[in-house]
Amino acid sequence: MLKYILQRVALALAVAVVLSFVTFLLLNFATDPAYAIAGEDAEPEVVEQIRKTYGFDRPVLVRYAEWAGGVLRGDFGESYYWNKPVAELVADRAPVTLLLAVMSLSVTVVIALPLGIVAALNPNSALDRMALGIAVSAQAVPNFWLGLIMIILFAVQWRLLPVSGDATLMHFVLPSIVLGASSVPAVMRLTRTGMLDVMESDYIRTARAKGFRGAALVRRHALRNALLPVISVLAVQLGAKFSGSVITETIFAINGLGRLALESILGSDIPTVQILIFLFAIVFVAMNLLADILNAALDPRLRIA
Amino acid sequence: MTPPTVQTAPAADMPDRAPTPREILRRRALRHRGFQIGLSILVGLLVVALFAPLLAPHDPFAQTLSARMLPPVWADGGRWDYPLGTDQVGRDYLSRLIYGARVSLLVGFGAATIGMVIGVTLGVLAGYFGGAVDHAVNFVLTAQLALPGLLLAMALVFIIGPSVWVVIGIVGVLHWTYYLVVTRSATMRLREIEFVAAAKALGASRRQVLIGEILPNLVPQILVIFTFELGVAILAESALSFLGVGIQPPTPSWGLMIAEGKEVMFFRPWQVVLPGIAIFLLVVGANLTGDGLRDITAPEGRT
Amino acid sequence: MKAYTCLAATAATLAVMAAGTAEAGAADDTMRVAFAEEILNLDYNYTTKREYIILSDLIDEGLFDYDPDSNEYIPSVATGYTYLDPTTIEVTLRDGVTFHDGSALTAEDVAYTYNFVISEPSEAQAKGTISRWLKEVEVIDAGTVRFHMLEEYPLAVRDMANRVQLRKAGTYDADQAAMATSHVGLGPYRVVSFEPGKEVVLQAYDGYFADSPKQPVAIGNIVIRNIPDLGTQQAELMSGGIDWMFKMSRDVAEAMGASPTVDHVVSTDLRIGFLILDAFGHTDAEGPLTNVTVRRAMNHAINRPEIAEFLMGGGAQPVYAACHPAQFGCDQSVARYEYDPEKARALMAEAGYADGFPLELWSYRDKPIAEAVVANLSDIGIDVSLRHVKLASLNEARANRDIEAYFGTWGSGGTPDSAAILRVHFNDTSDRNMSNNPEVTELVLAAEVTTDQAERKRLYSEALSIIADQAYWVPMVSYAQNFLVNAELDFPVYADGLPRLYRASWK
Repeated sequence: MLKYILQRVALALAVAVVLSFVTFLLLNFATDPAYAIAGEDAEPEVVEQIRKTYGFDRPVLVRYAEWAGGVLRGDFGESYYWNKPVAELVADRAPVTLLLAVMSLSVTVVIALPLGIVAALNPNSALDRMALGIAVSAQAVPNFWLGLIMIILFAVQWRLLPVSGDATLMHFVLPSIVLGASSVPAVMRLTRTGMLDVMESDYIRTARAKGFRGAALVRRHALRNALLPVISVLAVQLGAKFSGSVITETIFAINGLGRLALESILGSDIPTVQILIFLFAIVFVAMNLLADILNAALDPRLRIA
Repeated sequence: MTPPTVQTAPAADMPDRAPTPREILRRRALRHRGFQIGLSILVGLLVVALFAPLLAPHDPFAQTLSARMLPPVWADGGRWDYPLGTDQVGRDYLSRLIYGARVSLLVGFGAATIGMVIGVTLGVLAGYFGGAVDHAVNFVLTAQLALPGLLLAMALVFIIGPSVWVVIGIVGVLHWTYYLVVTRSATMRLREIEFVAAAKALGASRRQVLIGEILPNLVPQILVIFTFELGVAILAESALSFLGVGIQPPTPSWGLMIAEGKEVMFFRPWQVVLPGIAIFLLVVGANLTGDGLRDITAPEGRT
Repeated sequence: MKAYTCLAATAATLAVMAAGTAEAGAADDTMRVAFAEEILNLDYNYTTKREYIILSDLIDEGLFDYDPDSNEYIPSVATGYTYLDPTTIEVTLRDGVTFHDGSALTAEDVAYTYNFVISEPSEAQAKGTISRWLKEVEVIDAGTVRFHMLEEYPLAVRDMANRVQLRKAGTYDADQAAMATSHVGLGPYRVVSFEPGKEVVLQAYDGYFADSPKQPVAIGNIVIRNIPDLGTQQAELMSGGIDWMFKMSRDVAEAMGASPTVDHVVSTDLRIGFLILDAFGHTDAEGPLTNVTVRRAMNHAINRPEIAEFLMGGGAQPVYAACHPAQFGCDQSVARYEYDPEKARALMAEAGYADGFPLELWSYRDKPIAEAVVANLSDIGIDVSLRHVKLASLNEARANRDIEAYFGTWGSGGTPDSAAILRVHFNDTSDRNMSNNPEVTELVLAAEVTTDQAERKRLYSEALSIIADQAYWVPMVSYAQNFLVNAELDFPVYADGLPRLYRASWK
């Protein structure tokens, strides 16, 4: 078990290093940040001076080493666009995105789990079909479009919720639904298959033979086992929520990491984009790792092995 | 994972002789309602895209500034010569919607093909050779999965400069993992099966074995994934275009049309609603077709 | 049908609800203003953007004031000026002008402000403009100061009115950012509280001098809120959360103005829109844009009247010279290329481009206009691809000389003089200059070192006719400015498009 986890950690670290390098190359080869810093009325001599000051004239490998060294020491660099340390920007906005991610994951769970369980308990029924219909639709709806439709209906037509912003928890309701909906199909389908498999297992047959029926059977025996894989998928989905926040935060004018990412890209703010891509990847890798560990810890077969 | 529309064949329908694989496929397809609906939508929109010049009442690029922001026919002031009204620069909305199918399908097919070439190549190599190759491919896979795809696509499109071809290329290059995972394990299984071993024994080269024996057997699975990835790529393109880092005006892209309609969505909601429905339909069509294909081509006993 | 009527009903409901809350604005005598751009610094001597000008108009005074109706600079804190010689201006000061802390403005304060702005340690944004011409300000007596200039400069009074806001002597000595967050000025409103990037709260200053041209100031309190999303601003205006917003597109403004609680107010603006073409050949020395016939064809291809009438509206006009017609020296007798696609195609053929050529056109605002331009140019066979980006990206690419043509706009900072647009676009050190004709540069610079207005007019005419003959630009259209205001509010607008919030009053 320990060896398994160590292996996964090593892989995750290697992936993180490679990713940081690749994104650094991609972003720094293609653009010259000196122009972004120099601003509107800069003459060529000024730009050249900036290149020297910031060291853009040195080999990209050297700059990567410096950047990576900085990151390891906790120095994330300076944003060209906001004229602030990137770490400060990220620290300012991360709580908002974290809140959004957690809330939207709750939405996913609240919708997907009951749907998946009900569908599995009544295979091929109208309920099952409805659940699948919802999954198929949720998979095909463009996220940003769903957000706009929700604004039109809930915020303007019925005036139930605020249009945009992140001032209160109420502001997070619509964005959480929009972001949460995108994970419903995967979680719902997994819950359904998991339940179906468990219900047909020897273990449940034994329980049935012992006289457990209906809700008690589902609650006490089936659910726990069926939800094992779902928990690890949820961890992965939470990681995915961070990069998914780009669109949702943009539409609902939420000042989180996702919106920061879009603004930084449009403003050619390479240091911020670089850190955000790296950060989102790290969160994703970490969540995968967590999922692996959860799987190993919860699955009795793996635990014995 | 199984759509409920699939019914197991009653025994009475079974013919006396054993059906050929082709007949089995056809029979399954005819009974699979989801597949039929999906395929009809997909083919329907394909026809719309192909015959757009015949179907569209106007040139989708032609601007009539004096006739801008016309309402659709059902609203006050609507006119039949512009059934869905006109946009901010007086272009016929219906015609742009029709031509939008072209962009979506072009990006969808283009990107899914690029992803397929990358994913299948890596998958077959990893599955066939195993060992170090497999480890290397597995590492690339883990890295790719961890990357925030949309964010990276946005950054790359912005840096390289947006055009239809750049969008196709970048969306394609970022969507190949699904192909890899499936073809890798399938190849692993096939490698051990008799006919491959026989071909090897007959002295076929590696390339002949890979292209002649293994690849043809992967076609059904690849086709299934291709259909799903079609939907994924179309959604990715619409998101990029919506954010302003995808297809550029005046090319009619549904995602871009939603972005253009966003500003006036409280007053002209159809400019947001209609292109969204179009994307939704196309992606549902692709996904249902994919679901159906998977069920139909599944080996016996796994409906 | 149903959805449409539903929405109309909603708009009506919103309107009613807004009416209920809108009275709050008039009731507590507070006008709530929304800016999309963040206010991070209260000191206009250290900032430049339009939002800062609007704010500075409320809380600061310069020596003079610009009167948009007469198009002249009129007395304000200063009562008048006289040229003692071409490089010396004597300015007389008004009595009884006080800062927000109650202390009286002195001649020493005026001299200090100017002398600090141009001093070595100064990092003021105003320094770039002022240090070009000002050598020193000298105190003559309690009510008189004398400006000693480096050279003749026709816009000195403009700079005194707009660019430098007066400060108490010693303000910047310890800390140049002294006024950035806690502000003491001379303007009609004083700053009560300020949260950078969020909110500025202003209150009418009761010691404000009675003879100010900004008088009478009617509204007691002004709150400026930073709301970055225009959609949120719309919703806030509809629900009565704000009373005033600007920078709306015409379409949104007209749709919102249909509501009974919201007024759509439109004014003309000194901003003009134009294409700048790489006539010099920075991107391609042999490129089609280096051919004057091609550039003339492009000028004939643009349907200016339609763009002005349908896309801009609000009194916008077609523009044919490289300046706003209301600006001094903007000669309207230069070559005009009327909309004539036939002729344009003929010129294309004559230049050897009967089959057109590929062109990448950059733009950063007003996408519908950019798209109309693309359609017009496509019409004469040019294969245009549009790159609509943020301003910063366009600036970077242009500095890099990667742009062959772009749709630019220029507001001249509200200055009614061609100097404000021509210098920045035709000086040889500017990367906006994509034609690099030394003769034009020379003429434009010469017009800024003389105060002889007739001579200046002649120099600008000559420069503008070269620009037009050579078709370095495709001048297109003058702008309109759309404001959305609470219907309870009386908000007068002026020809230069600058919103003067101190002029607002409750109906």
